Parts: sequence; C-alpha cells; structure tokens
Amino acid sequence: MNHLDGVAFTIVIVSFLVVTCIGFAAARWRPAEDPMHLNEWGLGGRGFGTFVSWFLLGGDIYTAYTFIAVPALVYAAGAAGFYALSYTIMVWPIVFVFGPRLWSVARARGYVSPGEFVRGRHGSQGLGLAVAATGILATMPYIALQLVGIQSVLTVLGVGGNSSNVFIRDLPLIIAFAVVSAYTYLAGLRAPALIAFVKDTLIYVTVIVAILYIPSRIGGWGHIFGVSSAHLKSVNPTTGKPYGNLVVLPAGQWAYATLALGSALALFVYPHAATGLFAAKRRDVIRRNAAMLPAYTLVLGLIALFGYMARAVPAVNAGVVAGHGNAQLSVPLLFSTMFPSWFAGVADAAIIIGALVPAAIMSIAAANLFTRTIYKELFRPYASAAEETRVARLASLLMKVGALGFALELNKTFSINLQLLGGIWILQTFPSVVIGLFTRWFHRAALIIGWLAGMAYGTVQAYRTTGGGQAHFGASAAPVFGHTTYIAITALLLNLAVSAVLSVVFKGFGLQDGYDETRPADYVADPVPAPAPARGSARGRAREAAHAATHAAARAPEAARAPEAAPGAEPAARPAAGSRPPWDPAVPWSLGAAPEEATVATRATAAAGATAAAEPPASAKAAAPDDVSTVVFDIPASLTGRPRSQERPLRRK
Amino acid sequence: MVRHASPAKSPAIRITVAVMLTVAVGGALWVPIYAHLLPKLGDFPFFYWYQLILVPVTAFLCWISYLLLRTEPAAPAREREHEEARR
Repeated sequence: MNHLDGVAFTIVIVSFLVVTCIGFAAARWRPAEDPMHLNEWGLGGRGFGTFVSWFLLGGDIYTAYTFIAVPALVYAAGAAGFYALSYTIMVWPIVFVFGPRLWSVARARGYVSPGEFVRGRHGSQGLGLAVAATGILATMPYIALQLVGIQSVLTVLGVGGNSSNVFIRDLPLIIAFAVVSAYTYLAGLRAPALIAFVKDTLIYVTVIVAILYIPSRIGGWGHIFGVSSAHLKSVNPTTGKPYGNLVVLPAGQWAYATLALGSALALFVYPHAATGLFAAKRRDVIRRNAAMLPAYTLVLGLIALFGYMARAVPAVNAGVVAGHGNAQLSVPLLFSTMFPSWFAGVADAAIIIGALVPAAIMSIAAANLFTRTIYKELFRPYASAAEETRVARLASLLMKVGALGFALELNKTFSINLQLLGGIWILQTFPSVVIGLFTRWFHRAALIIGWLAGMAYGTVQAYRTTGGGQAHFGASAAPVFGHTTYIAITALLLNLAVSAVLSVVFKGFGLQDGYDETRPADYVADPVPAPAPARGSARGRAREAAHAATHAAARAPEAARAPEAAPGAEPAARPAAGSRPPWDPAVPWSLGAAPEEATVATRATAAAGATAAAEPPASAKAAAPDDVSTVVFDIPASLTGRPRSQERPLRRK
Repeated sequence: MVRHASPAKSPAIRITVAVMLTVAVGGALWVPIYAHLLPKLGDFPFFYWYQLILVPVTAFLCWISYLLLRTEPAAPAREREHEEARR
C-alpha cells in the first residue's frame, strides 16, 4: 500500500547486517572450555553479570510485540492499554522475592529450565512434562507475534506488501528469520545477549527522541490528550459504546488490576524469562536487576503514550484506516510521518531488532525445555552433554520454523488468540514452579490435576468470550461473580483450590508423594564459579545412585503400586520408567521416600572443606553412614554418568 | 566453594523489606487510588503521571531492599579479603 522508502529501508538493512555480524561474532564471545555443554549454548555459560543481564533481560522481556501492541491498544482503547505499565511495575518486586531462590536452586542443581526444577522438586516426571509442554505451547505463538511485529514495520516501510503471493510478500521476513536462526544455532544465548546491546541502544535513542520531539511538533501534550479524549468518548458504531476512556472507569478497574497482576505473576514462569534469569552469574545479580530493570518499564510507559500521539496525527489515522483498521500500524506510521526518513529507519530498525532478540531467546528457552525435560527424560536418559546441545540446537530451529508457520500460514487473529491462551496456560504452572520454590505442601498428583483443571477452565472460558467483533477469544477478561476478571487469574484460583483440596485428600489416604531431590540449602546457595574437574563428582554420584536404588528396592511393592493410585495422573512417566535399567537414580527418586535431610550446617562445612566438590556427593555422604543396611556397589561412572543435577564448574573470570 | 546467602536476617529487616515490596506492588495493583484525571501535572492527567512516577519509586524500593538483604561486603572489600587470605 506504500511506496518503498529507500533511505529508511537502507538504514534498516544496514542495521540488520551489523546485527548479523555481531550475532555470528558472539560465538567467540567469552569462549567456553566446553562449548558443547547446554550451560554454554543454552545459558551463555551462566556467567552474565549485572550489566549484561540487564540488557539480556530487558531485551528479552520488553519485546517488539510490546512496543507495537501496547501503543496499538492505547491508540484504540485508551487507558485500558496502560495495564501493561502497571504490570511491568509490579513484576519487579515479585521477581525480587522469588527470583533469587529460583536462580539458586537452578545453579546448585544444574537445571537449565523450569521444567527440570519442577521434576526435581516434586519428584514427578509427569509434572515436569506438563510444565515443559505448557512452556513450549505458550512460547510458540509468542515467537510468532514477534514476527507479526516485524511484519507491521515492513508493511509501513513498503517492503513486499504489494504481492498477493504469500511467499514473495513475506520473503524479507523469511530471510531475516533464517539468518537469526543461523547465528542462534551457532552461538546460542550469547548471540541475543550481545545483540541486546544494539537493540536497547536503538530503542532508548528512538524513545527519547520521539518523546521530546513529536509532542512539540503536533501541539503539545495538552493537545494530544485532548484529541485522544475526544476520540475515546465518541461512540463506536459496531458496539454502540464509547471506544474507551482517558482513565480506567470503575467498571474496568477489576479487569485492569487482574490483567496486570496475572501478567506480572506469569512473566517469569515463561521459559524465556527464566532462561534470562538462569544465565546470571551471581545470586545478587537478580535483586540488583529487579531494581534496575524498571528503566525499561519507564520506556514502556512512554511508548504506550505513542498511542495517544498517533491519535493526534491525522495522517496516521488515515493510514490505519487504509490498512483495514489495523491499529498495530499506528506506531510505525507515526515514525514515518513525524521523523525524517533516516531517523524513521533507525526507529524501524529498533523495532525489528527488538523482535529478533526475544525471538532468539524464546527459541533457545523452548529448546532447553524440550531437551532436558522431554527428550532426555523420555527418550535418551543417558544423553551426553554434547548430544543435549545438538538436540537443543535442532529444537531451536524447529521452534522457529513452527513459529514462522504460525505467522505466515495462520491468520494473525489466530496467533493473537493463541498468545492470549498462552498467557492463561503459562500461569497454570505457577503453583508447581513458584509456589514450589517455597513449599512442598502440595501433593504432586494434586498439582497435576489442578493444572489440568486450570488449563481446561482457562481454555474453555477464553473460547467462550466474545468481543471486538469476534465470537470466540474476543477478550482476555471474562465476568466472574459480577466482576470482569482476567481469565488466567480465575483459572489460577481454581487450579490452587483443586490442588489444595486434593493435596489434603491424597495425604489423608497416604498416597505416596514424590522425592524431593533439592535441599533447603539449595534455595539460598550462591556458588562461586571455581575450577573443579567435572569427573571428580562422578564417583560420588554413583554411590548416591546405588544408595537410592537400595532404598527403593526395599520399598518396591508399595512403590510399584503408587502410579495406579493416581489414575491418569502420570501416564507419560510409566513407560519411560519401565525402559530404564534398575540402578537409574530417577526411578527410585520419583517413587521412594527421601533419605535423611542433610542439614545446612553439614552441607556448608562439607562444601567448604572439599575443594569445590559438587552438591550431590555432599548429601550422599551425609545420608549414607547412618544406614547400615546400605550396600554400596561401585557402579562404573560410564553407566551412571547421567549428568543430571550436578553443578558444572565454570571458568574463573 | 559454595557460599550461602545468610538466612539469618533480623525480623525488623525482613518486615521492612516486606512492607516496601508490598507498597510497590499495591501502589500499582490498587487501581481506584490512581484512576483519576485530576490533579494534573502539566498536561498529564493523574492516572498517567502517577504510574510513571511509581516506576522510579518501585526501583528505589527494590534497591533499598537489595541493600538491606545483601549479605556480603561490597566488591572492593571482597577483593581485599581475598588478597589478605592469599598472604
């Protein structure tokens, strides 16, 4: 619909080439001793300090879709769109509380994804799978929406928009995505971490210039709010109601608050945000960043105001109408109308790169989840670190292809609906992941059934919600007991209620709960990277495995019946368990009772005494001497060398 | 070497941190306190400038909480300790 803006397009291309070079160069950034370990490819070596983490998390969470969709919502509906600001304010105090615990346990146990933590904490393969599947399902449409963000910029740039052939029209998008996939495949998380510097610099420059320059050109903030207010009060012909309001009316306040809270609670349960968290070097980095990442929130708030600016520019309104009323074009149109071509190019490049960074991180996060929680658990329990990395690389490619398919083949409404559903779904893993960080009161089978209940309710309720001219998936909030509430929150409450009631019931019947492989000290651990031979702990692991197996053998009769007691709860776990050799530690761990809890003090002295011994041997030593019936077989490390839960040594800075 | 963030912080500190973080979340969560047009700051309705100001306030509260909960000496001091330990 537009003619090609040569200057802007050139700048976008140049920026893209620069970013591509950085992406490939990132493979050599902070070179690793063992690049084929998932800690390296999937978490950038777990060595990012406050500064790099700030860029990485900022680049990860404040996505292009946010930069396009939030102002679009403000443009169309006014104050309701500002829930995103409210949400990104309250997410930081929330992360401040649980982020350090999640980081510590992941570091102490070598987890690379939330799914692994859930499996280890609740001793339930089924629950781990549920969390992993939810994470992947919720991430795929999220990646697709990054592409939708790029598409809206490309449309305004006038690239490929005229062809009726899907392939030619979206060729630039396909090329861009292929290039991103290539350097993500090579460099892993290092690529988006390094590119995030460019992305955020461009975003900050664009936003600061826009917020200072545009209002002065279009008559000041008084005029901007005046025009927007007048538009929002006018009646929408399709609904017969006003478009919105400049402040949230009492009727909409409940929806506003629950949307903000639900999104804030869900954010760090998303795999990509957790990946950014796990990549931090030290525990303190999380809290420091909780105080520093609000800088991005401020930017988000200013970007949301772009929606009102766009409303005050007649050319933008005309452009949106010409684009079939697609409000997502409003911000790119605002840039192209208000800025000289070269700076519009900079701004467009900011949005495009701002979409590529999170897309890369999301695909890596989903790949980590798939590799550790699904591939390794179900198919290849003895996969080596190098095999894990190879699988994760391929999985990240598959995720991207899938997302591309979503964005190109299915219509945009479908992606947006799925994204809405993704937000509802991902919050249903909150009890297992976040509440699990603090308490194991919930029974694992109750958590699975609660999760199912939340997922089912959320999906059905979202499907039944009408709005915006759609019969289904019309809005993310639906009335409950007279209040319009974010569906994810209602589903979460249902999930928690079911989990709580069933936990009481299951415990009352004495149903076997899973074995918690984590220790209280893991949640406050702050391991300092120290050089240690990875093989040093293999013997300790072997002893622990043998010890646990003996325990389980003694309990075999009741342990074997345990799965039947919870019908349908863990269908996926059983075939995998059956295919395993008897000494595999995972089977007794998931069925047997816990050995004695190693105390914090024992572990602290043991860990301090042994030069950088990994975590599991310490607990094995603490538990084994008390048990005289234990016969410890020396199983070769090659058989038990299932590298789960061990802390991998990191190079010293 | 594994260091453990000391769980033994005085109750006063823990309560202070809890209150500060609750204020930060509550300030954004309790919509009726800021869903007003007036008073305006410049041309900005209250609804907008309140939320924009709440951002640095939240950051400040998180930073203070971080300082209160921090368990180890600041980086330069730590370096010095390491130096001394080596000698």
